[in-house]
Amino acid sequence: MTPRVKPLTLAWWILPSLLCIALHWLAFRAWFRADDFAWLGLTPHVHSFHDLLAALFEPRAQGTIRPWSERAFFMAGGTLFGLNALPYRIVIFATEFAALGLMAWIGRRLTGSPTAGFLAAIFWMVNSSSMEPLGWACVYNQVMCAFFLLLAFYFLLHYIDTGRRRYEVYQWIAFTLGFGALELNVVYPAIAAGYTLLCARKHFRRTLPLFAVSAIYAVVHSIAAPLPKTGDYAMHFDGSMFRTLGVLWTWTVGPTYRTTSLDLPAWVLPLAIGLLTVALLGLVALPSQTGIAPFFLLWFPVTIGPVLPLRDHVSEYYGYIPAIGLCWLGAWGVARAWNSGMAPRIAAVALSFVYLFLQTPHLLAATKWNYNLTVRTRNLVEGVAGAHELHPNQSILLYGMDAELFWNAMHDYPFRLLGIDNVYLAPGVEKNNASDPGWDGVQEFILPGPAVNRGLSQNELVVYDVRGPQLHNMTTAYAAMPRSNELPLRIDAGDPLIAGLLGPEWYKPDVDHRWMPKRATLRLAGPAVGGRNLHLQGNCTGEQLRPGDLQVTVSIEGTTLPAATIHNSSFDLEFPLPAAAVGKSELRIAIEVSRVYRPPQDTRDLGLAFGVIEIR
Amino acid sequence: MKIALLVALALVPLGCKQTKKVQVQQTVEESPRVASAIKMGDPKVATQLVTGFYGIEGNAWRWAAKQFTVTLRPPFGASQRGGVLQLNLTVPAVVIDKLKNISLTASVDGSPLPPETYTAAGPYVYKRDVPGSLLGADSVKVDFQLDKAMPPNDQDKRELGVVVNSVSLEAK
Repeated sequence: MTPRVKPLTLAWWILPSLLCIALHWLAFRAWFRADDFAWLGLTPHVHSFHDLLAALFEPRAQGTIRPWSERAFFMAGGTLFGLNALPYRIVIFATEFAALGLMAWIGRRLTGSPTAGFLAAIFWMVNSSSMEPLGWACVYNQVMCAFFLLLAFYFLLHYIDTGRRRYEVYQWIAFTLGFGALELNVVYPAIAAGYTLLCARKHFRRTLPLFAVSAIYAVVHSIAAPLPKTGDYAMHFDGSMFRTLGVLWTWTVGPTYRTTSLDLPAWVLPLAIGLLTVALLGLVALPSQTGIAPFFLLWFPVTIGPVLPLRDHVSEYYGYIPAIGLCWLGAWGVARAWNSGMAPRIAAVALSFVYLFLQTPHLLAATKWNYNLTVRTRNLVEGVAGAHELHPNQSILLYGMDAELFWNAMHDYPFRLLGIDNVYLAPGVEKNNASDPGWDGVQEFILPGPAVNRGLSQNELVVYDVRGPQLHNMTTAYAAMPRSNELPLRIDAGDPLIAGLLGPEWYKPDVDHRWMPKRATLRLAGPAVGGRNLHLQGNCTGEQLRPGDLQVTVSIEGTTLPAATIHNSSFDLEFPLPAAAVGKSELRIAIEVSRVYRPPQDTRDLGLAFGVIEIR
Repeated sequence: MKIALLVALALVPLGCKQTKKVQVQQTVEESPRVASAIKMGDPKVATQLVTGFYGIEGNAWRWAAKQFTVTLRPPFGASQRGGVLQLNLTVPAVVIDKLKNISLTASVDGSPLPPETYTAAGPYVYKRDVPGSLLGADSVKVDFQLDKAMPPNDQDKRELGVVVNSVSLEAK
């Protein structure tokens, strides 16, 4: 290697990664948000080897099983580094750099052009669908999946080139490990088969056993975690898949959500996306001896196919892995045009600029949005930690929360990671832009008005304004504000602050639950509309169940409802509310259990332990 | 690719320096305010125990002398609706053995509230309504007075009346 070649080679490998970190610098500096906290919350529940296996492999979050990219990643990170985001970012970017290197190598190998390999890596890294995989830790699964898919394919190419069996073994290892990153890995056999069919047909048959592994994985996965039939993650195998395909194509060729931070006439984006689409599809139609262009295009439907049935949950990062094929295709087109005369060369450069013009401003704006969101999240979480240090014996009420901050900084219980349980939202907060889906699940976090009043008068509550970058203690000002004293529809009986809504029969709370004796009373608001039920979630002792099932009777305003039966020590009972309960500002509810148990060395007769009591 | 991996591995120790779970951000605090409720085990509210209290015992209670005084903040709305003064106390067996019975009275900013007499040892709640007219200020002084107490002796140099667990003013 001559001295001149060496720096070029070095630059060829390093420049995409350097450009990546420059463009995604705010992603590299981002903190945690939203689902990150749910995954970080796994570690405290691991006390044994069995717990570890469960934490790594039990289906969670829409039935996903991603032991490396989510479970091990966050559990190891949380154990070693707590909420220091830097080590997580280093791992994410290191994986991305490796994937960029693989992509460039594969691009060069498939096209025979170092320029095409280099450009493909640049195009991919600029694609705005990479914002969340690099900027949001819980989307690391995409980066790791891309790495495993590319690694397995890299070994396949090595095997084809050298005929050495060990590369085929390495391919199998990378492919199998990829299942621990993301379910999407299941498509790898189609990539391998597609490539060999189009470009290396004599190896096609050797890719077929890969399908068996994917099939076994799909069957086992669907047994362990059946596909959701309802909700956002329900799969719809119908015409909506074509619409989703169209949406994700435009989000991949153009900026995600087809938006840009630039002030452009409305026709510019569709026109630019249309031009790039025509150019990419035109490249496939060009005469070629290698059949590589159809393979590049094939990569897109193969890797996007598994998410097409997700009609109601189209995420901006779904184009991240499918974009790889289009980036190879585009880069190959540019390299080919460069050697085909002045007109194709100008056209290729112009189209490359159109692509960069579509992607880069949106990528930078989205990265900044994500970064700012993590800064807000960090300010809140660390501010609450500071407030808790000052007021360790008081609960914390947060005032001025908005839906975006709630969803990212509260919904997934980040405070529990710090050992802080009693953090609530001020009542009425959800009425601020109530239709925002970011408020989903907010009721669980709102402290009822009567509990707020009691907490303030008992000096058990401090109130912080979260609207600025720094938390402001506003307890006195909040105490002087007119506040609602409306009864809630939901209480957590284990919460010490809601004691005022419970009758005198209840025992004091035990950590996160509260026992009642044989009979106990409480107050809740009546529902605004009919058809609602009273839900009782809790536990009883095994000793109570030894003689047989327990009967639970509920009476509301003196009307006794049909009894429910408890078969297991953990229960979730449902009592249809009488029509007379609708619209009542206060319902007096009595709960009675048929049998109690007095443990040795306990003076209490234990009836039932609650849990959440809720009308919904 | 190899270089990128090496760079990443070299950067990892940077992340290892911090072992604390999370940084703690400073909050903007209010100036200290008077509480409406005082738990005797909370050392932060000791400034509201004006006279007559001894040190915290069992992280939860304090002995009080024959006279003891606290300041409390009237809770929101108490000046309109009136409030309730509540003293959670325990009359120890040693006090009843020695004094037979003991009477407690209280006054809010000098206005006396009805007394109560205890003839048996055990936990009690001294609970009295307080008119809203006495609760208009930012804070009120509440004096408690026992009719008798155990005088200091060789074993204990303190004058001992009752054990106090908490005292509070709540709005009606």
